This record gives sequence, C-alpha cells and structure tokens, in this order.
Amino acid sequence: MSTTQGGALTATRSAIQRFGGFLAGMVMPNIGAFIAWGLVTALFIPDGWLPNEYLAQLVDPMIKYLLPLLIAYTGGTLVYEQRGGVVGAAAAMGVIVSADIPMFLGAMVMGPLAAFLMKHFDRLVQPRIKSGFEMLVNNFSAGILAALAAILGAYAVGPVVGRIAEALGTGVQFLIDHSLLPLVSVIVEPAKVLFLNNAINHGVFTPLGTMRALADGRAIEFLIETNPGPGLGILLACMFFGPKVSRATAPGAIVIHFFGGIHEIYFPYILAQPKLILAAIGGGMSGVATFMVLDAGLISAASPGSIIALMAVTPPGGHLPVLAGVTVATLVSFAIASALLGFGRAERKAEKAAAEADTTADTTADK
Amino acid sequence: MNSIEGSDVKKVVVACDAGMGSSVLLTTQLKGTLSRYGVTVEHSPVDRIPQDADVVLCQTGLADRARKRVPDTVVVGFQMFLGDPAFARLEQAIRDGGTLAG
Repeated sequence: MSTTQGGALTATRSAIQRFGGFLAGMVMPNIGAFIAWGLVTALFIPDGWLPNEYLAQLVDPMIKYLLPLLIAYTGGTLVYEQRGGVVGAAAAMGVIVSADIPMFLGAMVMGPLAAFLMKHFDRLVQPRIKSGFEMLVNNFSAGILAALAAILGAYAVGPVVGRIAEALGTGVQFLIDHSLLPLVSVIVEPAKVLFLNNAINHGVFTPLGTMRALADGRAIEFLIETNPGPGLGILLACMFFGPKVSRATAPGAIVIHFFGGIHEIYFPYILAQPKLILAAIGGGMSGVATFMVLDAGLISAASPGSIIALMAVTPPGGHLPVLAGVTVATLVSFAIASALLGFGRAERKAEKAAAEADTTADTTADK
Repeated sequence: MNSIEGSDVKKVVVACDAGMGSSVLLTTQLKGTLSRYGVTVEHSPVDRIPQDADVVLCQTGLADRARKRVPDTVVVGFQMFLGDPAFARLEQAIRDGGTLAG
C-alpha cells in the first residue's frame, strides 16, 4: 500500500518536474538576452548609471519583442526542431501585440502550441505531397499556419493570457499590500529542494517580475527564489555542526552555491536531513520580509542565483536593501539549522556511539 | 535494471533539470578523471538525454525522469554533488573493469 502511494507520489513529482522543466527550458537558454536587457536598462534609462536617451530606445523593443520571441522560438524548438521554432515565434507575435505587458506567458503558450500543430499537420500531409512540390508545400504550410496562429493569438489567446497574467500580478500585489508575501517561502523553499527551482523561478517569477520591473523599474519577484541566503545559512551550519561528511564538503559547496549560483548543491544536505527544510523556510521568509520592508527589487531575472548575478542586476541605489535581505536570510537560516543540528552535540554523540558500536561489533566478531 | 561493463563505457552523460547548472559543474570535474580512459563526458537536460549515452549520472531526485527518457541505459543516481561515492565507483569500474548497474 505504502509503496503504491510512494510510487504515485514519485510519479506526480516527476510529472510536475517535467512540466516545470519544460517551462524553464523555454526561458533558461535565453538568460543571456535577459541579462543583456537588464544591463542596458540599468545603464541607460533616465534613472540609470549612465542615462542616454538614444541607447534607452533599446529597452522597450527588447523586452516586448526580443525576449518573448526568443521564448516562443525556444519553446517551438523543444516541440518540433527549428521548423517548430520558426512557426512558434511568428505565432507569438499575435499575443505580443494583443497586450501592453511583455507577453512572456503568452509566448510560452503560443510557441509550443504552434509547433505542436505544425508537427501534426506535417505528419498528416507530408507523406501525401507529390514529389517535387515538397518545398512549396512545406514553406506555405508553415507560413499559413503561423499567420493563422498569430491571428488566433491576437484575438483569442492574447486577451485570455493577458487577463491571467494581470490576475497573477494582482495576486502578488495583494500579498505585498497585506504583508503576506513571506508566506510564499513556505511553498517555494520545499519545492526548490525537490528540484523545482528552475520551474518556479523561470516558469513563474520571471514572467511576473518582468511585468512589474517594466512598470516600477524593479521587482521583488526576482529575489524570492534566487536569494542565496537560506542555502548559505544551511551550508554554514553543516560546515560547523553537520555530520562528518557534510563538514568536509560544505566549504566547497558554499563557494559554488553563493558565488557560482548553483543552488542545487545544497539540496542534498536538506534531503539527507529533511528537518533542515525548516531553516530554509525560516531563512526564505525573513529574507522576503526584509526585501519587502526595504522595498528591494531587481531589474531583471538573476540567473544563476549567485550574489554576483544579484548585484549585477540591482538598480542604482538598491544594493543595500538586497544585501540586507540576503544577510538576514543567511543569519536566520544558519541559526535555525544550527539549532536543528543541536550545535553538533547530537553528531558528536552519534560518532562516539558509532565508534563504540564498532568496537562492540569487533569484539562480538572476535568471539 | 540495466548493466554495463566498465570497459564498454565510452560516453557518460551527466543530467540535471536544465542541463546548464549542476550538470556542467560535474562534467568539468568528471572530465578531469575520466578523459584519460578515453571516456567522453557530456551534460544534458534530463528530458533530452542523448540516446547514445552509455551511462547516465544524475541526482536521485531526477533519476525517475532519466529512466523514463532512456529506459535501456544504466542510470547511476547520486546524492551529493561533491564527494559522492557514486563518482568514485564509476571511475573505479571504468579504470579496473567491473559491472555498473542501475
């Protein structure tokens, strides 16, 4: 019975991981373009480091057209190679012009959808094409399908997705207005450790945050999953008070996590001792609370979640609030994790017990 | 359960969710130890593992997805990204011969 339940649980987890992984797979290969947009914005907008009216013209087209098109192209490619990517990108233009917000969510729908339709159309029609007409049929089927999908996107999908995106944005705003945003960490931190980190950050927070960043110049959404503080606190606690194996590997893990931004490296420390998830949640909540109180935010998605990446996409004058949130999260997570590890007492006792058990085992074996 | 002889391993693929973060880190490390045995090491997203991989390495939390993607390939799961015994076992099997299963 329990094994069936365990199997169902694993299957559900894999399914969620796969769906989330697909969403993240559309965004992550394009992070370079996101960073380019973030840097250009931080530098050249009127509030930026080097205000420049001419170069500031890059900001709007990049976020409204370049980034959604890249997402749609990548999403189409995941479904049906380059042909899917081309059709997906063209189809995404419909949702892009249907709204004033950057249509990331719409692009995540239209790119793969158009590619999926193309794939099935080809499967149906290509075997029946008369020899010599392949190129003509293939080019025009893609063109006609992409044009139809763009029209469908502009009239049907765009308004619906726009409404959904607005509702999600309002939801986040509601949580901020009522000081409830830290509660999000109760879901985010455990989900991260189950390897849903990319899905959450790039599937949810990147599209939401981009809308706010365009309106307000920065978004707290970009800081929720990427804050390296909770993981750093746990790794520090493992370095001082963890089991012997953890103590040896934690220092290297800290560098990779905090500066390299690969958060995955601390997940196994929690998976090995699930109680440590409380430290991640506590650290995450206190970090988000600090960000919220100090009005911290980033210009664009920080990826990977390294302190260097965070600092690079922080708007001018916004560095202290971001650093404060990271520091608070680290301290709280470290304190809780250290307490949960009994400040190393339990571990020392266990090692002693193990040593004694070894001796007893040896003596028993000798007999 | 699949298995392969260590001497038959020519291509090891390290998989993670996006194929851009932790798998790249491990690929760099494993290349250092495995390339001298003529074994290539690549990284990939777990849902796009190439079919010609001889051995797939991934965190146990992602192993189900890896097995679904390449059901006939040996999938070696590991717990920790640093210092996991699975990496030493893999190297030993390739160096000294021995069967890898998973």
